[in-house]
Amino acid sequence: MEQLSNGLTLFFSLLVEAIPFLLIGVAFSSLLLFFVDERTLIKFLPKTPLMGAIAGSLMGVFFPVCECGNVPVARRLIVQGAPSSVAVGFLLAAPTINPVVFWATWVAFRDQPEIVFLRVIFTLVIAVTIAWVFSRQPDMRPILHPAVARQMPQIRKSEPINPLLRSGTFLLLTDGSTLQLDDPAAILTKTPAQPFAVKIQLVIDNMVQELKELGAVLILGSAIAAFVQVAVPRDWILTLGQNFITSILAMMLLAAVVSICSTVDSFFALSFASTFTTGAQLAFLVFGPMIDLKNIGLLMTLFKPRAIIYIFILAAQMCFILTLFMNLYVS
Amino acid sequence: MSVKRPQKSGRAARQKRGSKTPWFRQNWLDVLVLGAWSMTLFRYWITGKLFLLLHPDYMWLANSAAVILLGMAIFKLVKGRRRIQAPPSHTTLLPPQLSSLILLGVAVLGFIFTPQAFAREKAIQRGISDSLTLTRSQPQRFVRQASSEERTIIDWIRTLNVYPEPDAYADQAVNVSGFVIHPEEWPEEYLMLSRFVLTCCAADAYPVGLPVQLAVSRQAYAPDSWLQIEGKMLTSTINGQRQLTIEPTKIETIPEPRNPYEY
Repeated sequence: MEQLSNGLTLFFSLLVEAIPFLLIGVAFSSLLLFFVDERTLIKFLPKTPLMGAIAGSLMGVFFPVCECGNVPVARRLIVQGAPSSVAVGFLLAAPTINPVVFWATWVAFRDQPEIVFLRVIFTLVIAVTIAWVFSRQPDMRPILHPAVARQMPQIRKSEPINPLLRSGTFLLLTDGSTLQLDDPAAILTKTPAQPFAVKIQLVIDNMVQELKELGAVLILGSAIAAFVQVAVPRDWILTLGQNFITSILAMMLLAAVVSICSTVDSFFALSFASTFTTGAQLAFLVFGPMIDLKNIGLLMTLFKPRAIIYIFILAAQMCFILTLFMNLYVS
Repeated sequence: MSVKRPQKSGRAARQKRGSKTPWFRQNWLDVLVLGAWSMTLFRYWITGKLFLLLHPDYMWLANSAAVILLGMAIFKLVKGRRRIQAPPSHTTLLPPQLSSLILLGVAVLGFIFTPQAFAREKAIQRGISDSLTLTRSQPQRFVRQASSEERTIIDWIRTLNVYPEPDAYADQAVNVSGFVIHPEEWPEEYLMLSRFVLTCCAADAYPVGLPVQLAVSRQAYAPDSWLQIEGKMLTSTINGQRQLTIEPTKIETIPEPRNPYEY
């Protein structure tokens, strides 16, 4: 009985701490959806592969979205012709390298500032490297989901073709151009000007929708964290959590399964702070936002499985090596 | 209470309008989810139970969330009738209806459930220690206090961490409060006076404690009861370990404080 009460207290403490950050996260992601035009941003991006990778990885500073919000943004970036290095860098780094996540991590790990900063550094290293690797593939269409590849800018460049010759449903705009209605990305990028009141309502509707989706995942994640803390014998956790290697592998697996949103995952990791090695907590915080079950579902709408497997293998290996180094030589 | 009003009027309005069209039911559920979470957060705020869940530095975040969620619930209630197609943004892990029901169920559970301060069982499970070296917190500053009676248990532990020799504190006056633990491996006349320390929220609470040397058997003080102990420090050897121990001159039973954690 007391264990149940402890578990519930733990569960609600995680939720009460995380919900404000979730609210901030969905508010930003909804505002961006309606008030920021990515096309303007792409014009300012560097074109060389390495600089593109770095710029893409750092773009999260302006797009404080978690790993559920970043796939749609990355998709819009690709469709609008952003280089592959920018898009992949953004995809991997944005959920971690943004002000909201940094603040939440700081709140959770203020006693261990090294975790807060190393989370950013490790994520940057991994994201820039993978984005650089992907820049060897300047034409991304072979690795993209066919539906996304069809919307790529090459088609737009050949747009002198009369739109009447293209299949689909089109809307003739007042300036004589056309808007393809059965192309969600095009609608997003070319939303006709809407009155402010309607935009606000769209923002709030989107916030509620995201809050429900992510909130439910947060609840499941918090329940798992609370259960592990009160129900699993402490000896087991310590045996697993104090070993340099198994602790990292366990936390990476947990990160992939739990799929908790990056805005609030630091609170989840915090509940393992006293039992798991520092490297393992970092592995959770770095790997989780890049790849998890929920995220793979989202990535499948963007990439072909082959590309997802590449990203997964590269991210997992680098994350493991960096955090193992941390366990062996730093902490 | 002004807080409760919108939900009540909301329910009345919903009943009046009925739920014929399917989209309206979804909106109705949204209002309920947002309202329920807002009420739960307001309840923890007003009853002071938030102290059992969060570090005081972050309570304003939870309190603001309560207000914002209430605002969103009211907005959905008033404006929700107009239906605007939101752009497709997510493929989801869970079906939306299920997400809503999970959120609503947990909010209701949170509204009913009263958080309990962690006590002895949790302390033993977390592994109590008289040193912070095993825990995550590293002392960031060392404040020298004017008198030793003003130190709380965590202050004592932090001081010990910096200078661990127990003899250095011999005969210093001590006045601390905490809850009772009877460590199994200790002799009958020793008990542990303990406190949980919080850095962020209850999820990272970890226990610290100081041994108390009693003149009588520790059975006089039930585990989990709260004591205020005045006395002086001495060094005793418990289970072959030299430890800084309180020798009490006055032991008083106190009620559990509103805020049982230290920071």
